[in-house]
Amino acid sequence: MSQNNVNIKKRINILKRVVMFALLIILVRLFFIQIFEHDIWVAKASEQHTLLETITPKRGEIYMMDKGEPVAVVLNQTAYQIIIDPAVTDKDQIKSALETHAKDYISVNLDEIYQQEGLRYAIVAKNVPRENASKIAEAEISAVWFQKNNQRVYPEGNLASEILGFVNADGIGQYGVEGSLNQQLAGKEGLLKTTADVNNVALSIGKDNVKIPAEDGKNVVLTIDRGLEQGIEEIGARHIDSTAATNVSALVLDANTSEVLAMANLPNYNPADYGNVTDASAYLNFITEVPYEPASVCKSFAFSSAINEGVMSASTTYFNQGYEIVDGWKIQNAEQRASLYGTIDMKTALYWSLNTGSIHALKLLGGNPNQITQVGREKLYDYYHNKFRLDYPTGIELSEAEGVIPDPNEGWGRDSVYANMTFGQNLNITMLQTATAYTSVVNGGTWRTPTIVKGELVDGQIVDTWTGDGRGGGTPKVQSLLGEDSDRQDPSRVAGPVENKIEDKILSDETSATMRDMFINNRNYKKRAGIDRNGYDIGGKSGTAQVIKDGAYDNTMSETVGTYIGFVAPSGEMPKYVIMVKMSAEGQYLDGGIASNFFDDVQNYLIDYFKIKPGNN
Amino acid sequence: MIIRKHRSDLAILFATLGLMALGLIIIYAIGPMRANVLNSTYGTDYDPNYFFLGQLRSVGLSVLAFFAAFKWIPYKYIQKIAKPLMIAALALSVLLWILSMAGSSLAKCELGECRWFNLGGLSFQPAELVKLALVIYLADFLARKKEEGTIGKWQEFWLPLLIVCGASLFLVVIAQGDLGTGVAIISIIFGMLLVSGVPAKQYLIMLALVIAAAVGAVATSSHRMERIDAWLTTLTGGESSDSTYHVENAMLAIGTGGFFGVGIGNSIQATGYLPESINDSVFAIMGETFGFVGLALVIMVFGVMLVRMLKVAEATPESEPKLYVVGVFSWTLAQVVVNIMAMTSLVPVTGITLPLLSYGGTSMVFIAFALGFVLQISCYTSREVIKNENISSGRRLRGTYHSSRRRSS
Repeated sequence: MSQNNVNIKKRINILKRVVMFALLIILVRLFFIQIFEHDIWVAKASEQHTLLETITPKRGEIYMMDKGEPVAVVLNQTAYQIIIDPAVTDKDQIKSALETHAKDYISVNLDEIYQQEGLRYAIVAKNVPRENASKIAEAEISAVWFQKNNQRVYPEGNLASEILGFVNADGIGQYGVEGSLNQQLAGKEGLLKTTADVNNVALSIGKDNVKIPAEDGKNVVLTIDRGLEQGIEEIGARHIDSTAATNVSALVLDANTSEVLAMANLPNYNPADYGNVTDASAYLNFITEVPYEPASVCKSFAFSSAINEGVMSASTTYFNQGYEIVDGWKIQNAEQRASLYGTIDMKTALYWSLNTGSIHALKLLGGNPNQITQVGREKLYDYYHNKFRLDYPTGIELSEAEGVIPDPNEGWGRDSVYANMTFGQNLNITMLQTATAYTSVVNGGTWRTPTIVKGELVDGQIVDTWTGDGRGGGTPKVQSLLGEDSDRQDPSRVAGPVENKIEDKILSDETSATMRDMFINNRNYKKRAGIDRNGYDIGGKSGTAQVIKDGAYDNTMSETVGTYIGFVAPSGEMPKYVIMVKMSAEGQYLDGGIASNFFDDVQNYLIDYFKIKPGNN
Repeated sequence: MIIRKHRSDLAILFATLGLMALGLIIIYAIGPMRANVLNSTYGTDYDPNYFFLGQLRSVGLSVLAFFAAFKWIPYKYIQKIAKPLMIAALALSVLLWILSMAGSSLAKCELGECRWFNLGGLSFQPAELVKLALVIYLADFLARKKEEGTIGKWQEFWLPLLIVCGASLFLVVIAQGDLGTGVAIISIIFGMLLVSGVPAKQYLIMLALVIAAAVGAVATSSHRMERIDAWLTTLTGGESSDSTYHVENAMLAIGTGGFFGVGIGNSIQATGYLPESINDSVFAIMGETFGFVGLALVIMVFGVMLVRMLKVAEATPESEPKLYVVGVFSWTLAQVVVNIMAMTSLVPVTGITLPLLSYGGTSMVFIAFALGFVLQISCYTSREVIKNENISSGRRLRGTYHSSRRRSS
């Protein structure tokens, strides 16, 4: 018995040692994992637990004005992405739910997704509208998630598509204000760094949770008047139908603020359906992005330069022989009627748009009525470059092309080049540059940066925040379609809002008044024909631009671009609006006369639309 | 030798109650996360307090069972029903097997293994009863054989033993696919055999045979080999896969706990990353929550409890209760060691609960009941008729016992 007892005690001691040994191993192991390898496991855990998610801001909406009230023209619509966990989700159930309620939005081949091993996350449908998504949600299939995203909606269809632009599949604005103001419209992404549970649901228990809220994009109110834009686009469409023109553009500026009230380019497209545009040039804003030779419209600038220098007036006379020989080149007038030969005044020269008249203005600028001089060239350059800013982007909040003005001294045949420049050849500028400069000619002489942004819509109120943070001072932002290097800063492709709105008195009141009189005189025949209504001062200037084909002017005039620019004022008052139109078509002759008919319709529509009261005389 | 009733072993008492309380706290902290994970993944509708209330109910029942065994049911009574209890436990297992094969809704199955009786809202796992019954039966059987002097004899001893143990293992491991309980049963058998006084040679041969059988069983089952493979992969830091996911996330939980742990309610692994977070993996969650300090304490509590049980066994003069205590010790030891070693990738995952801490009613109630009797037995440990009856200090008691041992040896 005693022997047996000792035996058993020994054996119980074996068990004791087993306990001690096992627990010791465990303790050593735990020490190793928890103390020694602690950092490794924390790093692994953070990899597994941390959910990094960008919070998408709401993109700003775009508004136009309508008789003083902002109206939305670009809105957001909530759509959903549907995400499943193929390892958990009931595959047949979700498949039938998707096929019943969101067949058109399925973005993947479901069978392929199901065959991928170890896949725990798959986006199966995109851009699913709320109603469809909620029907799928009602089925309450487990491990199905709905992720919100925003889609642009364009209640006005094609209206002003070149101004608005569109948002591409990556959510980045392209063309128009969507492109140029992308940063402001997009807002700022927020960041969510959080510890998440196994279903990627954020937990509140993590220590290093970071939440930077998204900053929603700004709601932009454009200066464009929706009704005016609509009316002008309809008029433009009619003129495409009734003339040989295939492309028309029209621009209405407020003469005193340089606000863009209408900016129409036809043909346009539906931004909601931007992918189906076959010709990418439809995206371009021909008014700001495509330079051309402005032709005789430019005489307005040559004439006002000379008048403002005090070397010329409306009644200054010169001898017109129908042509001029400069640097051995014969420059002819388009109008060769016999009654114009001999001594005529500048008013008459502008009325008939005589090239010899504007060349004479250049001569007078140089101080010698008989020939073009270096001083004259430099004076004209000074006006075109420094005052009318024809080779600067205007600074509007849209993508712009830079204009090109030849140097007054560098290069061959400067006299002929500058003679051409007086009637709008040998220089390349945009419609907006032309119209902005023209506005200063007629509004009393003040050049103003044109703008298309009225402000930001905050709680239903238009706030001019753009002045606050957009225009901090400095020179206008410049970008170049031509890719030329300029001495101006930041030649970025996309123009942001100008940093400094320019207001520059470049011409005297008298010069402006003289020019207005001549422009009104230009339209005497329209008045007599009853096109220009009584009680209004309508002035204008036509332009017929030859198109450079294969590096040379096509003197057969088989293809020309017709332009017309003018202003509308109640009689005896200062101009309220400046209107510019342009018509073109491949291989078609379209002159200033044809364009003036388009202008006529626009100005009459504008008077009715804004209910401009007639003046006294 | 006259044995008088004295105070029970307080260490075992407090360890048992303390562990149950700790289990409650941890389930209170992570139960809502478990409910949330199940609700969002499987579309169930568990109340956040569902698991805590379940655990509270289990603890309540367990405390009741514990004190019933400790105070109210004399061990002698249990001794008398050893055989019928064993037969009942095996019969229930057979019944469950038949029901599951018949596809009856009375058999509750999870992941293809049918281990539970479905009794309305309650479920009952007969394997737990098998463990308890086996401990009681073997204590009775081995003590009788010892008295008869037939230990080690083939016909009188090994044959009946092999039949009972083989039947138990077959029903639990093969029919119910419960390898974890199988390991506990083998531990019970060999722990009790060791103390029964089986000749060392026979003991070692049997042990070798069982190990060989186990290796064979593992090698012939692809699903068990996969577990071994996963274990080796994790242990050697190999590439992760679906089969290493469980252990990796258990170690991740333990590892992130560091020295002091992340604190109650801050467990991230319990939010769905760690499978079985409230039952088999609860040790890992405790490691994350309480850190090395907390785990070391838990291990010490288990250690004290186990060693105290051996002390009780040692000091119990009668063979039958002595063997019973060793049986309960072996049962507890197996579950604690295998569970924790699996969580730390020292052995492959077998699916075994951590006694008194894991969520799960049957397992806790049975182990508490079994521990209750250990405590009852601890009141009758031997010491010579004490000269000074008034001594109540445990330290002095032990001193007395030791001095007696020295004298007797």
